[in-house]
Amino acid sequence: MTDQVSVQETDAGQQVEQPSAQGNIVEVRDLHTYFYTDLGVARALNGVTYNIPREKVLGIVGESGCGKSVTALSIMNLVQPPGKIVSGEVVLHRVGAKGANTEVVLTDLGRHSTQMRRIRGNEIAMIFQEPMTSLNPVYTIGDQISEAFILHQGVNKDEARRRSILILDRVGMPYADTVVDQYPHQLSGGMRQRAMIALGLSCAPSLLIADEPTTALDVTTEAQILDVMRGLQSDIGMSIMFITHDLGVIAQMADEVVVMYLGRVAEQAPVDSIFYDPLHPYTRALLRSIPHVGEGTKERLKPIRGVVPNPYSNISGCPFHPRCDEFMPDVCDVNVPGITMTEDGRAVRCFLYSDRVEKNG
Amino acid sequence: MTDITVEKIAAEAGEEISTVGEIPQSKLIWMRFSRNKLALVGGVGLIIMYIIVALGPFIASNHFRNQNQDYLYGPPTPVTFRGADGRLGLRPYTYEYITRLDQESFKFVFDFDRDTRLPLEFFVRGDEYELLGFIESNVHLVGVQGEQRFYPLGTDALGRDVFARLLVGGQVSLTVGLVGVALTIILGSVMGTISGYFGGAVDDVMQRVIELILSFPTVPLWAALAAALPPISRSFTAIHRFFLITVILSLVNWTGLARQLRGKVMGYAESDFVMAALAVGASDARIIFVHMMPNASSHIIVVAALAIPGMILGETALSFLGLGILPPAVSWGSMLTQAQAVPVVIEHPWLMTPGIAVVLAVLFYSFLGDALRDAADPYSI
Amino acid sequence: MASYIVRRLGYMLITLVFVTVVGFFIIELPPGSYLEFHIQSLRQQGGDVTPDQIAALERRYGLGDPVHVRFYKWISGFPRGDFGQSFQHQRPVGELIWSRLGYTLLISVLTLIISWGIAIVVGVYSATHRYTIPDYLITVLQFIGLAIPNFLLALVMMIVLQQTFGMRVGVLYSREFRDAPFSIAKLLDLASNLWVPIVILGVAGTAWTSRVMRANLLDVLNMQYVQTARAKGVYEPKVIWKHAVRNALHPLVMTLGLALPGIISGEVIVSTVLNLPTSGPLFFQALIQQDMYLAGTFLVFFAVALLIGNLLADIMLAWLDPRITYR
Repeated sequence: MTDQVSVQETDAGQQVEQPSAQGNIVEVRDLHTYFYTDLGVARALNGVTYNIPREKVLGIVGESGCGKSVTALSIMNLVQPPGKIVSGEVVLHRVGAKGANTEVVLTDLGRHSTQMRRIRGNEIAMIFQEPMTSLNPVYTIGDQISEAFILHQGVNKDEARRRSILILDRVGMPYADTVVDQYPHQLSGGMRQRAMIALGLSCAPSLLIADEPTTALDVTTEAQILDVMRGLQSDIGMSIMFITHDLGVIAQMADEVVVMYLGRVAEQAPVDSIFYDPLHPYTRALLRSIPHVGEGTKERLKPIRGVVPNPYSNISGCPFHPRCDEFMPDVCDVNVPGITMTEDGRAVRCFLYSDRVEKNG
Repeated sequence: MTDITVEKIAAEAGEEISTVGEIPQSKLIWMRFSRNKLALVGGVGLIIMYIIVALGPFIASNHFRNQNQDYLYGPPTPVTFRGADGRLGLRPYTYEYITRLDQESFKFVFDFDRDTRLPLEFFVRGDEYELLGFIESNVHLVGVQGEQRFYPLGTDALGRDVFARLLVGGQVSLTVGLVGVALTIILGSVMGTISGYFGGAVDDVMQRVIELILSFPTVPLWAALAAALPPISRSFTAIHRFFLITVILSLVNWTGLARQLRGKVMGYAESDFVMAALAVGASDARIIFVHMMPNASSHIIVVAALAIPGMILGETALSFLGLGILPPAVSWGSMLTQAQAVPVVIEHPWLMTPGIAVVLAVLFYSFLGDALRDAADPYSI
Repeated sequence: MASYIVRRLGYMLITLVFVTVVGFFIIELPPGSYLEFHIQSLRQQGGDVTPDQIAALERRYGLGDPVHVRFYKWISGFPRGDFGQSFQHQRPVGELIWSRLGYTLLISVLTLIISWGIAIVVGVYSATHRYTIPDYLITVLQFIGLAIPNFLLALVMMIVLQQTFGMRVGVLYSREFRDAPFSIAKLLDLASNLWVPIVILGVAGTAWTSRVMRANLLDVLNMQYVQTARAKGVYEPKVIWKHAVRNALHPLVMTLGLALPGIISGEVIVSTVLNLPTSGPLFFQALIQQDMYLAGTFLVFFAVALLIGNLLADIMLAWLDPRITYR
């Protein structure tokens, strides 16, 4: 089950060398992250499997509460109690010198272990949704960025400050040498998000996880921030995992897309395939719910029926079946569909494409 | 559009939310509260305390003012279930005491004659009392027939039943909290709401007054005000004094509630539901009482519950210092004044029992208040 | 910053005027004339009070004057250090209160510092070890600490110390040091006696502060910037102490204004029980004896101490939190 995706993808005759290691920087395999709250167990992630391709932008879309942010925290191994990664693994593929690849299973490292801390902010960095609250109000921007330099590059305070100004400059922060000594409350939302991006990029990570980095910003600022991220991504040659609920942003940013629904991946496919040939009924429903320019202006938008069920409920079968237009009685409400790999290497979890059943669903 | 339809729409919307898997807030609060075991302990403990205290004169064997000149500082009367034949049984006995003059200290000491058993009986007739203010009786739950009295917690300096005084004193000490909190809620919500809703000069004056009150340490201020109360006389009875003491205690306490409510009300004034009510022409009074108060009610309850322990402790401290409840009334604090001198307490440790009662009452109220506070914020983890 | 402090001092002065009004109101509050009470007590002490003396006293306190004149007479003495006369002690109030107020403040401030030091560590521990056995244990201790009235704790401590350790409580200095000039030995002697009231007073404060600290820190730990720090790869203890605790202290310092009156209240009661030569016994005695100038002056000075405490708290807050502007 675990490496189903990569195995399926390759033909039997391929080399021993892990093909996924070249293509993917991180593989998430059958990840289960639960939250043990007073009201019961919330299955935020219920068997999530996807790959983050190297040096590309992976977009993750889904409605609120589908587990987008929890996946990000799970990769960083930052799920805080009462949340817990119950099973599954996150594998980081490192490309060493002379093409020697090593892999690290992040989920095996302790939450507070030195190894994990060396990866955080250094190899994998993360930007959060709320630029208003993601910077510590009592320290200057410079202090907060310098901390990463001092931590991961072992430089002294002055050098860290110099590098902080450079990186702030690089993300297009106006007056970087003034801003470096300012406190977060003195900056606008867009500037704070730039500062956050600077913080994320400070140690040139190979993967940047951006959790709805532009949701709280206005459209103009959003466009600027997206520009900066896209530009830096190709400059540094890093991967970005871009979480959003905005399909427009996905179209603009992503190379590949993962569509999530209720703690599971509905499908993973290249961005064009998602928009022009969606496989999963949920993806189709999502696309129908956004307005299109040009075609049939008289046409009404179709919202998806019903609402996202609460995460405490235990839906039998496919979690989307109560809202699905192509619901097949006695099939979809009985078993959880397994992952089907299409011929062109796309992954989809739906009984429309095969009868594969999730074993431990 | 009238008010009614606005509310109906809101109510329907609320209903719909609750049917699609979300749990209404009131239910969440109750769920969290009822799952808190400490709250259960506190709640049950308090109910038991209030019942015992209310039935105090019946449960105690003696009248709390009765002085037994032959049994000053008398120790608690021992109880045994061992009969004269040395076998354990269901009938409780106590022993006869013998008074003896200690040759060294020249004090009377009490020994119990372990050979003469006096049966403890239920529903015995004894001192006259009035229960709950209207039931006159002389039947006591337990007691001894004849000359000797039953003192489960001993007697004080004047030979009065400590247990009886503990129960009657509890009536005062446990009521102070409730009456005081009622006053606090009334004063605090009226002042806080007015201050927050009308703002401007009213608000300014109110805030300065609160600041002024808060710039005095509580106990000295209470004490100074209590010291100004007239002595107990025919025209100024112990009841009057008791009531004024609670007024004094809540005089400082209301400021906290008023400040918090002011903030809440100011927040509500900006909110959509108040805007909507204003738009349909609801009056100030209607907005305050129909739209704001229900929203603030959980907050008021929490603040009130958390304020009760402070009131009880305040009364106890004042009475202990001789500035609160004065004789002939009794409270736990005034009972403890007898325990001020160390030698006295060492020789007669049962005089400290009111302290245990205070700690228990305060503990139970804190459990309750804490659970309420946690529950009122149902969206925290 | 300087102009902010000056402005705050200005506000303080205005509040102070109202504080003295309240103080005077309380002096005037007891039924009957305090002079009558005084004359009565003078007679009880065997002294004979001549009509001349009565007239002099009446003149001095302006009994014939209207209220506002009496008030003016009282406060106009303040700059000269004249706070009126204590009837009971036959001495100027000023002479009586200074050293006692000093010890009250010393004990209060020491208690505050020590209990905060302990409370912050305990609060951080129980917030970061939520729902573990030590956390439950701390919670139980906190509840008990808050439920024991401090005078009761003082009684129990007195009994325990006297019975088990044979310690003399209720003094600040041992007999040999009482009138000795200042020295290190005298200071150590003071410390060996002072810990008793500090412990008694500190129990409730520590319990309360550590609960507040725990709740604050739990709030802060849910903040995004704490995750940011973790995502940076910061060592967890450093995440807690550098990034979270400093923010959690903020509401705590705001409650300093509430904690101080509690500690002064407590000190007054505890020192009365222990019969320490601080404000407590003198203040309560003054109230019971209706020695109102003494009691009223004490009250005013307690308020002054609180006002200064609040000012210091505000300055500390401004230092802790860069968001606060000195408007």
